[in-house]
Amino acid sequence: MSLSLRRKMIPWWFAAPGLVWLIVFFAVPIFNQISVSLMSGDPEVGFELTWSFSTYADAVRDYHTQFLRSIGYAGLATIIDLIIAFPLAYFIAYKAGRFKGLLLLLVILPFFVSQVMRTASWQLILNDQGWAVARMQDLGIVSDGGQFLATGKAVVFGIAYNFLPFMVLPLYATLDRIDRRLIEAASDLYCSRFTAFRKVTLPLAVPGIFAGSLLVFIPACGDYINSSILGSSNTTMIGNVIQSKFLNVLDYPSAAALSFILMGVILLGIALYGRVLGTKNLTELAG
Amino acid sequence: MREDRARAERALEESLETAFAQRSSRRSFVGRSAGAMLLAGGLGSFLSACGITGTATKNVEALRAEAERVNHPKVPIGNWVFANWPLYMDKSVLKDFDREFGGKVKYVEEINDNNEFFGKVRQQLTQGRNIGRDIVVLTDPMAAKWVRSGFVSPYDKKNVPNAKNLVPNLQSIGYDPERQFTLPFQSGAVSLGYDIRATGGEIKSIKELFNPKYKGKTTMLTEPYDSASTVLIMQGKDPAKATLDDMLGAIEYIAEQNEKGQFRRFTGNDFTTDLTKGNVAIVLAYSGDMVQLQADNPNLRFAYAEEGCITFTDNLMLPAKVAHPYAAETMMNFLYEPEIAAKLCAYINYISPVDGIRPILEKSDPEIAENELIFPPDDVRKRLKLYPSLSTSEEQTMYEAMAKVTGG
Repeated sequence: MSLSLRRKMIPWWFAAPGLVWLIVFFAVPIFNQISVSLMSGDPEVGFELTWSFSTYADAVRDYHTQFLRSIGYAGLATIIDLIIAFPLAYFIAYKAGRFKGLLLLLVILPFFVSQVMRTASWQLILNDQGWAVARMQDLGIVSDGGQFLATGKAVVFGIAYNFLPFMVLPLYATLDRIDRRLIEAASDLYCSRFTAFRKVTLPLAVPGIFAGSLLVFIPACGDYINSSILGSSNTTMIGNVIQSKFLNVLDYPSAAALSFILMGVILLGIALYGRVLGTKNLTELAG
Repeated sequence: MREDRARAERALEESLETAFAQRSSRRSFVGRSAGAMLLAGGLGSFLSACGITGTATKNVEALRAEAERVNHPKVPIGNWVFANWPLYMDKSVLKDFDREFGGKVKYVEEINDNNEFFGKVRQQLTQGRNIGRDIVVLTDPMAAKWVRSGFVSPYDKKNVPNAKNLVPNLQSIGYDPERQFTLPFQSGAVSLGYDIRATGGEIKSIKELFNPKYKGKTTMLTEPYDSASTVLIMQGKDPAKATLDDMLGAIEYIAEQNEKGQFRRFTGNDFTTDLTKGNVAIVLAYSGDMVQLQADNPNLRFAYAEEGCITFTDNLMLPAKVAHPYAAETMMNFLYEPEIAAKLCAYINYISPVDGIRPILEKSDPEIAENELIFPPDDVRKRLKLYPSLSTSEEQTMYEAMAKVTGG
């Protein structure tokens, strides 16, 4: 092999592990599932590729409710997480001093327990006769004699709880990295603290908000654990439908088609969101 | 120090620059990667162009003939794998087994759901490959599916002489009349669990699950084999003889009730939380789970419904192309020794299929021996009903209909 060829190959060698990973664990499964989504048949005789695009149309027709619900729940949970996580991340980054590390550890500590266990624990805490629901009744969040579990509220709450750290960590990373001198400069130029926050801190935190929202919204859209543990038959999300299609009904084409529609919808959503917040933000955060 | 580092960095930069001398722009790099991905995609579609093999009925007769001739010679036990449901084994039984017979059993609690587990091993099974487990424990309808699809290996009865201890009513079952492929592990019943404080009295009939008095205060099982069959029993039909249409009719009934808000939610084994926490009054329950709940809270009751109730059996089975049949058979035989079966029963509290354990438990564990959930009285035994037998595509239709009701 000539020297120049060998040199040309070097970047490929660098990229090789990542590429192999992408091909084996992303490209192959994706294309495989695309072809599954275009198959038809039944579990008894098997499924064959027949380019049956109607599966997609049927999936949208039959499950648009669950799609919309998933997007709604995931969106609400993302907003709730943003509202909770921003002040928290701000506090950790600016005010926590030597407790920073400890507080960050506390944020991720629940992750040492499996998500199913954590969610099932909420099922115990939020029981109808429990203290938590009684307080929510006092506050008017739950109607008197009403319940919190097996409702959409419980599912949104569960998602928000489970994905909160995904919002806190990128927000913290961005806020912590903001050059404090910029804020000082703002106050030197007679900005009030609020204006400095609004005109300096917040815009610089946008990459964190963007990354955090994606990290919460994307997995939340496909989540099925919260709905199956905290919800009812009226709170089913698209993840539950895909799971049941795949494992119980053994309708692999529909399951695959639903997954791709979900992926498409999410990609579209992200593209729009990126437009609004500026697409470079993610790469800026990574840099 | 600093200078050294700067020099090193410069050197690295230079070498990288040379490496990228004919730098592929990011775009072309991405373009080429995309090409590679397309290639991989081609491979992917090539792979799946073969389609997904179905689970059509294999030649069951050939399998039965194989069962007649099966001969698994006695070999050292070695390392072998036993796949079971969580909390379904007294681990000291496994230790005793290893001590007595040598070898090492790898015991995996990986079956949380029949369908989920099947999904995990389906591909190997349909391709006729070994699934790396020597015993699996599957519930009747799934066990039936494995038998009719040829996903099982017959076991050598010569190695399981204790199978003679199998209780008479389970010695034959529709999908395996001579028990050539399946041996019951434990049984249980599907019927009514309730909190007597919430109901204000004893509950006897399945109709109470649908009583408007308990609107929103009941739960139903997601599994149509359990819930729809129970509805059929309430309607006076024998689920064992039920057709797909009967099941669909029962699911339709469940759907109507659900629309009226009768059920708080659909559950699997997790009906226990809603019941113990007082969120609901009556649930459709598995008897085995109720034994433990009652031990903690005597107000929780289980009733074998007067109309009858479904009994399910989880079966020990050897998957097709099993690697260590002799080890698996030795374990099956061991589990059918009355002393071992009694020990297991006292631990997991399900209905044991092994005859002759009650006298042992009367001495060692009288409370267990008296428990009607573990030893159903004779009049209850007469009311126990079996699941319907449906083909794989009928099953699919049934699950599809049920999924529409449960929202999935």
